[in-house]
Amino acid sequence: MEKNRSVSDDREYTNGEITVYWKPGACVHASYCYRELIEVFDPGRRPWVDMQGASTQKIIETVNMCPTEALSWKWNDEGKNADVGSDQYNHVKFRRPELMEKPASSQEGTPVSVKVMRDGPIIIKGNFSLKYGDNEKEIQDSLISICRCGSSEHQPFCDGTHRKKGFIG
Amino acid sequence: MEEKKAEASEVIVEVTTGGPLRISGNFILKDLKRSEESAPGEVWLCRCGKSSDKPYCDGSHRNK
Repeated sequence: MEKNRSVSDDREYTNGEITVYWKPGACVHASYCYRELIEVFDPGRRPWVDMQGASTQKIIETVNMCPTEALSWKWNDEGKNADVGSDQYNHVKFRRPELMEKPASSQEGTPVSVKVMRDGPIIIKGNFSLKYGDNEKEIQDSLISICRCGSSEHQPFCDGTHRKKGFIG
Repeated sequence: MEEKKAEASEVIVEVTTGGPLRISGNFILKDLKRSEESAPGEVWLCRCGKSSDKPYCDGSHRNK
């Protein structure tokens, strides 16, 4: 993960016990973080992450819900990082399988996942063909986020505008 | 007898111009707001935000 971090907009936040990493370029606005834990993850606040807003355990659980690499975490005590369970999806050392390189054959037969997010976008994950206008693109082992509120400036993709517009649906 | 998986499971996601999102093939649809899960084979999902039958398209985009 460290080698992939770009210099510009990435941020990190700590409460002394864990550090949460934020890569805005990877965010697809699935909105799990602020729906689950607005006390910590509040997109309308600056800085938007307040590590004092909830317990370490609750923050870990919420970061683990992020479907992309936008949010990840690790223990500040490096000794504890060697001992993290495989259910800790977004721990920096446990990247979820679909984000890691592996033979395409291992993905065959795995159904594509289409999630309609609560008052948010459609998150489509897996291997599929994306047709848009005259374009057709093969999406391999990846994830896209499609706008459902009609207000995104980056159609057909979600840009997070649903939150500002108060989209219900 | 085993079918070729690549063809059987091919999923097509089509962003229709000025209309809904059409998804067809072998996919699992989970609606987190309405707590529903299904494998419909084909679905037309609202992209305009106006449908009265969310997450599905009801043609309201034409009156937008």
